[in-house]
Amino acid sequence: MTGSTRLNLLVLPAVLFLLAVYVWPTLGLFRNAFNEVGPTGAMVEAWSLKTGAEVFADGFTFELTLNSLWLSLTSTLIALVLSYPVSLFLFRTNSRFRGLLAVIAIMPMLISGVVRVFGWLAILGDRGLVNTLAQSLGLISTPMRLVFNWTGVTIGLAESIMPYMILALLAGFGQLDRTLEEASRSLGATPFRTFLRVTLPLSLPALALAAGLGFVLSMSAYITPKLLGGGRVFVLATEIFEQATTNTNWPVAAMLAIYTLGLLLLLLAISNIAARRLQR
Amino acid sequence: MSYLELSGLQKRYRDSVAVDDVSLSVEQGEAVALLGPSGCGKTTTLRMLAGLVDPDRGAIRLDGAEITRLPAHKRNMGYVFQSYALFPHLSVARNVGFGLEERGVGKPEIARQVEEALALVRLAGLDQRRPRELSGGQQQRVALARSLVIRPSVLLLDESLSNLDAKLRDTMRHEIRSIQRSLGITTLFVTHDQVEALTMCDRIAVMDRGRIAQIGSAEDIYERPATRFVASFVGRSNVLPATRDAEGRAVLWGETLPVAVPASGEFDLFVRPQRMRILPVSEPVSPGMARVHGRVLRSVFVGDHVEVLIEGVGGQLTVEMQSGSAAPAEGTEVAVAWPLSDTLPFAREAA
Ligand SMILES: Nc1ncnc2c1ncn2[C@@H]1O[C@H](COP(=O)(O)OP(=O)(O)OP(=O)(O)O)[C@@H](O)[C@H]1O
Ligand SMILES: [Mg+2]
Repeated sequence: MTGSTRLNLLVLPAVLFLLAVYVWPTLGLFRNAFNEVGPTGAMVEAWSLKTGAEVFADGFTFELTLNSLWLSLTSTLIALVLSYPVSLFLFRTNSRFRGLLAVIAIMPMLISGVVRVFGWLAILGDRGLVNTLAQSLGLISTPMRLVFNWTGVTIGLAESIMPYMILALLAGFGQLDRTLEEASRSLGATPFRTFLRVTLPLSLPALALAAGLGFVLSMSAYITPKLLGGGRVFVLATEIFEQATTNTNWPVAAMLAIYTLGLLLLLLAISNIAARRLQR
Repeated sequence: MSYLELSGLQKRYRDSVAVDDVSLSVEQGEAVALLGPSGCGKTTTLRMLAGLVDPDRGAIRLDGAEITRLPAHKRNMGYVFQSYALFPHLSVARNVGFGLEERGVGKPEIARQVEEALALVRLAGLDQRRPRELSGGQQQRVALARSLVIRPSVLLLDESLSNLDAKLRDTMRHEIRSIQRSLGITTLFVTHDQVEALTMCDRIAVMDRGRIAQIGSAEDIYERPATRFVASFVGRSNVLPATRDAEGRAVLWGETLPVAVPASGEFDLFVRPQRMRILPVSEPVSPGMARVHGRVLRSVFVGDHVEVLIEGVGGQLTVEMQSGSAAPAEGTEVAVAWPLSDTLPFAREAA
């Protein structure tokens, strides 16, 4: 038995596992997307494009797509702007608390999405921390609507993807090197110019990686848009869930899911190419 | 007052003193080597000069102006890092032009100066390459060109040759030295390689545990080492344990040597192997010479010279003979002689 066949055997359990829990259900999903809904509302086995035609002829699908893309874009950008300085600091610090600080930064990852949403409600709600504070300071008279709308969802989503983006940034900072920044300083560049000409360009691969990840996570997020949106925020993920559970319209849910998957793969490919370009 | 003055520089870290007390004066156009073992504070000294590390104590003066707290980007020092630190995302030309761009020099002028600098380090034609498309030696020359093109007040080289192979290193030494001389650039050159220090610099500052142990010409350092550390760090020496007789003269291997020795405590005599000569036992020596007796243990041919290991009553020593002269056979009883003036006594350090 050659070394490589032995290796192949070693990965066999993992491959079987993935086949069972991922590939098989995905194929099932694919299959469902081409079924039809009978007059009773039950699913009828078929190989038809009727469901697909319905889904894509519906203007709501287009609206959902735009909503998903917009929400993902804004929360990714917000999260990126906030994560970048944090990761840069963590990457560079010589502090003996570095490990601890890193754990704190990615801690939200360990908390259930539902719990986190309730945290945000306590902070952003009508009688939440922000509104109470602003009112007691006399800045506003009526509470600001910060949850159960796009604002709340964007804030909550940005926060929930930040830990992943911080990790992605830290993993992507390979080329970044203190000595390069020192070289820039010694050649006469101010700290700000050094950031623009050295630190930022060398962070681009990491930023692209993190943005890609954040975007994909935002696109597939369900809990945050659902709970913080208060039924007013419609995106692809909430609609798929709605179709599958409330409407029990499996073909439509499956078709939307496949559509979303395709969209994500496309975006991943784009971000991959971009990252490779930047890496050169 | 000298062009560049370091006085009483100190830098402590949480658990160590990197630089304890460094004072140094460098004249305009002079090349000074900072020579010392790993961890003695050479890099830290350079970094304080470049403004990349704040000294805890002491002052740096350049051309009469105090620059101790001046930020790095206002110092105009050309720092060539050990790792080259070329910008991987910029072409060779843009790497070299980086400092000029920061100084607001116009594009055509930058192009002209970059070309000139690349020609100076013999890299013309490689300007559009990325740093990682260059060999180690070429990268090093780009780093040098990048620092030279800004006409630095002081050029700081931090072990910039240590990543190169022996041959390339030798070539680069000569190139850097001739560029440095022809442009008259004041240079501080950090190295732990003695040959580099001896060949590239006008003066050498030997550093030991955060302090300058001795500063002087290559000859001063080599012939008249001021401390035991300098004597053992620079060049090779026989370290011969000796005793003191009633009149306070040194006694080595049973022979009395009229050299000045420390008044008290244990001490060793340091003698360079190439200053020693092997004589027949019967041959007399002139008054200015020291002489001991021993037996040849073995001879080793090392290319341009022969090392002869000799054992006497008080231990062993090595004599370096020109190859060509016949080495005595093993087991032969011989005398070893050397000028008394080349005998350097140093007190033994408390271990
Ligand atoms: N940032 C730092 N934090 C803590 N200790 C440091 C730091 N920089 C240097 N040191 C310590 O200071 C001492 C001197 O360091 P330095 O880098 O100046 O040595 P060096 O003479 O350049 O040695 P080498 O030849 O190995 O490069 C070392 O003991 C080092 O461990
Ligand atoms: Mg060093």
